[in-house]
Amino acid sequence: MLVANQLTKSFGPVEALRGVSFSLAAGEIRGVCGENGAGKSTLMKLLMGVFHPDSGTIEIDGRTQAIDSPQKAQELGLAMVAQELSLVAHLSILDNIWLGNRAVPFLHRRVRFRRRAAEALRLLAVDYDLDRPVSDLTIGERQIVEVARLLVRDARILILDEPSATLSDIEIERMMSALRGLRSEGRSILYVTHRLGEFFDICDSVTVLRNGKDVATHQIAEINRQKLIELMLGRGFDEMYPEPTGQPPAMQALVISDLRIPGLVNDFSLVAPRGQITCIAGQVGAGAATIVRSLAGLVPEATGTVTLDGRPLPLGSIAKRVARNITFVSEDRAKEGIFHRSVLENVVAARLPRFTRVGLLSWRRLRRFGADICKRVMVDATRLDSNAFYLSGGNQQKVLFARALGGEQAGALLINEPTHGVDVGARAEIYRLLRQFCAAGHVLLMTSSDLEEVVGIADTVVTMYRGRIVAKYARDRINMSAILADITHPTAVSEAAS
Amino acid sequence: MSNRLLRPAVRPYLILATVIVLLAAVDGGQGRFLTIATAYSTLQSFAGFALVALGLGLTMLIGEFDLSVATVYGLAGCVALLTGETNPWLGILSAIAIGAGFGFAQGLIITALDLGSVSVTLGGLLTASGLSFVITHDTDLSANNLDFSMALNEPLADIFSLRSLVTVGVFILAAVTFNATRLGRDFIAVGSDRRATMIAGVGVKKLVLGAFTFSGACASLGGALLSYGLATAAPTGLSDVLVPSAAAAILGGVSLGGGAGTPFGIAAGVLTLTVLRSGLNALAAPPVAHDLVIGFILLTVAVLDAPYLRRQLTALGLSFRRRPRGPPQSQRPA
Amino acid sequence: MSAELPVIPNRPAPVPYLAALTRNPRAKARAAVLCALLLFAVLTPSFLSMPSLTSLLATASVIGCVAAGMTFITIGGNIMSFALGGTAAISGVAFATTLNAAGLIPALICALLLGGLVTGFQGFIVGSIRANPIIVSIAANILIYGAASWITNNETINYLPNAGAAALQGTLFGVPIEFLAFIMLIVIGQIILTFTVFGRNLLLIGSGLHTAEATGLPIVRTLTGAYLWAGLFTAVCGILLSLRYSQANMEYALHYDYDAIAAVLVGGTPIGGGDGSMIRTLIGVGAIAMIQDVLLLHGFEEEWRYLVTGLIVLLVIILYSGRRG
Repeated sequence: MLVANQLTKSFGPVEALRGVSFSLAAGEIRGVCGENGAGKSTLMKLLMGVFHPDSGTIEIDGRTQAIDSPQKAQELGLAMVAQELSLVAHLSILDNIWLGNRAVPFLHRRVRFRRRAAEALRLLAVDYDLDRPVSDLTIGERQIVEVARLLVRDARILILDEPSATLSDIEIERMMSALRGLRSEGRSILYVTHRLGEFFDICDSVTVLRNGKDVATHQIAEINRQKLIELMLGRGFDEMYPEPTGQPPAMQALVISDLRIPGLVNDFSLVAPRGQITCIAGQVGAGAATIVRSLAGLVPEATGTVTLDGRPLPLGSIAKRVARNITFVSEDRAKEGIFHRSVLENVVAARLPRFTRVGLLSWRRLRRFGADICKRVMVDATRLDSNAFYLSGGNQQKVLFARALGGEQAGALLINEPTHGVDVGARAEIYRLLRQFCAAGHVLLMTSSDLEEVVGIADTVVTMYRGRIVAKYARDRINMSAILADITHPTAVSEAAS
Repeated sequence: MSNRLLRPAVRPYLILATVIVLLAAVDGGQGRFLTIATAYSTLQSFAGFALVALGLGLTMLIGEFDLSVATVYGLAGCVALLTGETNPWLGILSAIAIGAGFGFAQGLIITALDLGSVSVTLGGLLTASGLSFVITHDTDLSANNLDFSMALNEPLADIFSLRSLVTVGVFILAAVTFNATRLGRDFIAVGSDRRATMIAGVGVKKLVLGAFTFSGACASLGGALLSYGLATAAPTGLSDVLVPSAAAAILGGVSLGGGAGTPFGIAAGVLTLTVLRSGLNALAAPPVAHDLVIGFILLTVAVLDAPYLRRQLTALGLSFRRRPRGPPQSQRPA
Repeated sequence: MSAELPVIPNRPAPVPYLAALTRNPRAKARAAVLCALLLFAVLTPSFLSMPSLTSLLATASVIGCVAAGMTFITIGGNIMSFALGGTAAISGVAFATTLNAAGLIPALICALLLGGLVTGFQGFIVGSIRANPIIVSIAANILIYGAASWITNNETINYLPNAGAAALQGTLFGVPIEFLAFIMLIVIGQIILTFTVFGRNLLLIGSGLHTAEATGLPIVRTLTGAYLWAGLFTAVCGILLSLRYSQANMEYALHYDYDAIAAVLVGGTPIGGGDGSMIRTLIGVGAIAMIQDVLLLHGFEEEWRYLVTGLIVLLVIILYSGRRG
């Protein structure tokens, strides 16, 4: 039904896909798995016409098709739930469910469409008021509306890119039974997820992507979990993550107590000592990333007490945070990480006042400083004048780390998803850098939704579920299955916690 | 502070009603403000730039900005008078055609080359201005068909004229299209989240193209009607139309960031400006009162809509009721 | 601390604009277009000898002052201001009024202060609560004209005889005073943008407001400063206009906003901000003036000059603009 041949796609210097082929039969649910950055989302967006392949072809029903826009994809019978939600917050649930649907005539007759939208929501066992604006919904509820949009599309090939990340177990089960119903009607489904268990629940077969290539496709019956993980990683576990270095005495630390963010985080307390990597693990929407943002002064409604080395750090003040040499590294580098200017300007951005004499900047000293810290984070100094926006994800991340260097005292790094959008090859370097910052006595507090990374790099792990701490693990007690259980369906915390 | 009443969807009508009530109160029953003459003059000045505000408002609604309406308006007046010497309706039609074509060309440049609309329409603004100088040979034009001008302004049903009726008609047409077809929903979607709308399968480029074409057509219909109404046209344009139109659209609940606004809201915004002008005239207030009041209202709207207003008030220690917020920020998928 | 670290050999810091020219292909296209224009101009007989050049230069320079001010606003990511024309006019009126009442120095101070404060206040609103810069400038524009007609009754203020402004009128060493003032502003502006922390922060804020916030750059102070400088530069335009005609009224500088932003864009500063320089604005102002001069010398009538200028500006904007900013 759907055949992809040797699809490739690059973004600037980053090769996201390097020749991916697979074929999907009618009435088949195909799982697609791979690490972060393996190319899953890029592949899905190629199929949907959001991106265009650099080379390779897509065949549908035996005919080669150029899918140049999402409308064209829809015409060919494809529909997708994108990883980053594509709902319009200003519009009602009803309008969002039908937005962009080719079946809607110019004069949209509301009654019939209302009924179908309500049916789709009922199939997912929810009962939302169709006229509520989507901006009122929580992220999990939005995800369900996205799935409902998919259900009313009458598509023959459905693509779901990480639909379950923000859903509860019950919601996931309902979605899966809706998907099984579609399969029995002969429709085909591509199902992307991080949660390996779901493959065994719903998929007929699974394709594994690694580093932009399809490494294997198996029937689900002929594979087990262990084999799947091996295929995804494709290498020994230990090469990636440097050993912790000798730790300085953990007298000094970033101490958070009773941090509260209305509607999201309740009573969060944590001690993140200098010289260690402390990691908050949780799914998207669990509140981990917002906690780190609030420590960076970016969440004005946050309340609580935070001290660094015993001195208080007022929440909500970016200036005071910067004065203590605390650097925030966002997971969204394009929006709030990288300035659309040269590497040099990016690395010295926060330190300009130090390089002035009678109010005028010395560019010679700035360049020397910039070149020096670039070298320390392993960014090629000949790139000082290149626009940082066009560097690869890994190099951008190193540029952001560089901003933490050159302060008078060791400070702290607050990092959300340190390897988001960083290709696998560059990750080991990022991890090595994290360790170097530890050795230099910085506090490192990071969040990650990549479990393998959490287990590999962290000295202390705190797991979160819906705004609450589930458990804390010291380095020798960290194990993947316990963490996974904590962040997906904790037993220790009641559902009503949030 | 009632958030409900300050909601952008309700606000335009609230401001309009407040302005009318206040003017009537100032009048104090002396019968200067709530008269047929004031209503007529309000609608006449409504017809002056309401269509420009409608077109401009639509481009703002989708997150763009059409600067060129400022001179397309004047160009249309010149085109109408030049081509309509024998038949004024032909003149109006050709003005609309030129305006729509102009808007289409700009829309095409913006969508095909993915350029910012402010820069492209700035070029359009200068080009349209140049065009009107060329076709008029830098002279002022006057209409030879004064009967037609009279007919356009002739009061109908006491308060309307043909000119204001046509304008109101276009607004009703636009509002019906906006509410009854999927266009309205799609425009709002494009304006509030272009990427999501594109992924959802809406033809974003076509909509942007359509918005600029509509904006050009609207501005030129407005300009042509005004030129016939005044029986004159000048290449320099007859009035500065961009600032009042943008002000009206903003008062009418159109957000410059895109994603909010309706045709009737824009109409309410235009009416606010024109009621104020005619009302203050009727009350014999000095002309500056109008400017000062409008400027002040507009500034208030800008401040109320400012995303960091809340944060800065909180920082100053002022307490206020917290509105239940949508989902918090950390929800970008990781 | 950097002193004791090994110095990595590197090219000397290039002038940013020249560096951009050698790297960016779009910048190359831009330079090519400008060179072609220049060549065409120089090949036009009597290009440099016409007396009209002086008057053209003066007019272009006056608009250039507003363009230089607008550059601060555009670079900082606030697109453009619709209030600068009005600010120029009201500064000119303030200048003429104070000149008659108190003499030259108080008049200069008063005009600059007024322009700076009126515009700086807008910058403060935009920076502190992130109010929409376009709406704020439209509101300010209406308020400025309203307040001005309230205070002056829309009258023209003529200089009293012996008002003491003669020292700043006419030409200096045969060069129009407007041109000298404009060049001075460009130099000051470029120094601010290249060599002060404020200027670099402005460029960074324009290239990514959220990033600037997360990095902890002083956004309120920088944006207020950008508007303050824009107001000061615009006030200079008002003063020059007033000096030129020995009078002032609110009709001066009408719609200079559009001419100014056109010059900024033709110079190659992107509308989305985050990049740009005063040198580019100088080039933009110069290019538009040159086009008009050449058209004049080639005998185009005034109406055709407007059209061709508009088309060339459109063309240049299309050629230059990168993806939307």
